[in-house]
Amino acid sequence: MSQWLNEVIDSASDVNDFLAPARQAALADLKNEGWPARRNESWRFTPLTPIEKRTAVAAKTVANAEIPAIDNLNAIDLVFVDGVLATELSSIEVPEGMAIIALNTSDSAAQSSITDMFGSVKPARHLFGRVNDALSTQGVFIDVNADTKVDTPIRIINIATQNVDAHSRVLVNVQANASAVIIEQSVGNVDSLTTAFAEYSIADDAHLEHYRFAMVTGSAKQLGGSHFKLHNRSTLNSTVVGYGSELSRLDVDIHHAGEFADAKMNAIYLLAEGELFDLHSTIEHAMPNGTTEENARGIVGDKARAVFNGRIHIHRDAQKTLAELNNRNLLLSRRGVINTKPELEIYADDVKCAHGATVAEIEEEALYYLLTRGVSRSKALVMLNFGFIQELINDVPNEAIKTWLLPVLSERFSHMEVK
Amino acid sequence: MLSIKNLHASVEEKNIIKGLNLDIKPGEVHAIMGPNGAGKSTLGYVLSGRDGYEVSEGEATLNGKDLLDLEVEERAREGLFLAFQYPVEIPGVSNMEFMKESVNAMREERGEEPLTAAEFLKKAKAACKQVQLPLDFLKRGVNEGFSGGEKKRNEIMQMILLEPKLCILDESDSGLDVDALQVVADGVNSQRSSERSFIVVTHYQRLLDYIKPDFVHILADGKIVKSGDASLALEVEKNGYAFLGKEYQGEEA
Repeated sequence: MSQWLNEVIDSASDVNDFLAPARQAALADLKNEGWPARRNESWRFTPLTPIEKRTAVAAKTVANAEIPAIDNLNAIDLVFVDGVLATELSSIEVPEGMAIIALNTSDSAAQSSITDMFGSVKPARHLFGRVNDALSTQGVFIDVNADTKVDTPIRIINIATQNVDAHSRVLVNVQANASAVIIEQSVGNVDSLTTAFAEYSIADDAHLEHYRFAMVTGSAKQLGGSHFKLHNRSTLNSTVVGYGSELSRLDVDIHHAGEFADAKMNAIYLLAEGELFDLHSTIEHAMPNGTTEENARGIVGDKARAVFNGRIHIHRDAQKTLAELNNRNLLLSRRGVINTKPELEIYADDVKCAHGATVAEIEEEALYYLLTRGVSRSKALVMLNFGFIQELINDVPNEAIKTWLLPVLSERFSHMEVK
Repeated sequence: MLSIKNLHASVEEKNIIKGLNLDIKPGEVHAIMGPNGAGKSTLGYVLSGRDGYEVSEGEATLNGKDLLDLEVEERAREGLFLAFQYPVEIPGVSNMEFMKESVNAMREERGEEPLTAAEFLKKAKAACKQVQLPLDFLKRGVNEGFSGGEKKRNEIMQMILLEPKLCILDESDSGLDVDALQVVADGVNSQRSSERSFIVVTHYQRLLDYIKPDFVHILADGKIVKSGDASLALEVEKNGYAFLGKEYQGEEA
């Protein structure tokens, strides 16, 4: 057993709020399951050693933190600094047609909605998801009224500024025929641990535009997940961007719980130095006539390591499913590592399902050719290798985010070392 | 313009260039001929700075600047241009995007303002026309799906746009029919000036009917073994490299 997990279990026993039954169940699981063995498939390429012997530190409030700017986004910002909702940094105005409620609310109607949703989308299998279940007294519940289209993006920001354990939870209920834009963003580079899990229920005919920017770097450790349940004819368009850090793991689950749902997800990761980013994607088709298209593309430089685990599970009743998952990687350095693993489980016979993964290296000859024409090395590398990332950026539905993302990512890329 | 003294270079620890001397003055056209394996293409790669081509001895300067000390892109900005024997296909990067970046890198080196998209397009269209490439080639991926002749013409188009000081044409005639050869030669001749020099690497005298050299050198076993005027090329055409003696005749590919 790890020291950290022991301390987590101790502190979780003291949590006593209206979510106590769910928290106790999670706690029981943590006690039973214990710390994952080194051979545990789920953590095979992502060693948990940076956390194993860590001392757990409860979240503390701090006075201030810098909010990462996205020009012209005009979002409602909900800011968590070191795991605590910083109301003075957050926007108070709530767009019409939705409710935003802090998880520590005393309103009993809200408590009941939160209790209903908490843990109803996120699978229980993930160790750190269970830790989050047990300890996430901080978080928000966002409820979008039926038949309401909310254009104003809601951005939930996790900022790590000091060495604490931060556990926050996001619950989003997009009611029937409604639509919303939600951004989850995390930043920080100091030694710290964040678990940030979000659950989304997208009701019949509803639409969610979603972004997850897992941008912690350095020794900030992050374990998080975005989990989606899609009901009849609902649609999801999600964009994930991952930077690596000492330990950064993101689990994305897309669960087709209704018929004719359509999910599209693009993921980009750019890793430098000794960074690690692990993206575990699970697509569950439980009902017929659903479609999923997922593209994950990454560039790995220097000694960095990318892990991509893409699972598609098509249940027996999910006939006429169309599921495509594609993972493309570019390895800039001999010392970099990419572990990409497809997992297909198909129990229905009338489905179309495709899964592909590739790893390419820098084409020396093409690079030389561009250089002989006077093009700078960094520009040449961007021209040759950034195109497949740029394609996904061009796909981003929100203009402000697209405009912000392109220079941010090409800047990060141009500093990545080729060796 | 270009001065090469006692140059020795190797690829994968195999010595290819073994004490090469060459002096080129502004405005001159030098042809380099020689049997296969003599080091003709290697010379272009060494001068342009390709990875894996190691210089162990000697020097090469362009207008007094030590070339061997510079990165590939810096040599290009100093005015060195290599027209490839086998131009590289780069799908996903358009010819236009590539050339604009390239032309503006040269302009920046000279302290000039970068060209706007419209200014560049005008120049690119003219260059395209000059080598008889259809304009849609500008939008296509670099050399992507081009025929052998189109690739060679694309190289000459780049040369016209980049206005280099020293051009090395590595077998720009190989794989061309007579019409295409004429287009390539016209492109090269249009760029001849008292300020610009050329090294024309070729197997065949034929090209030299179109591009008249001031000097012809025979490269064999890594060094220049014979130099002369254009008549030397005719002699090679007629008699082959037999005069070199057995040890210099190289391996026929």
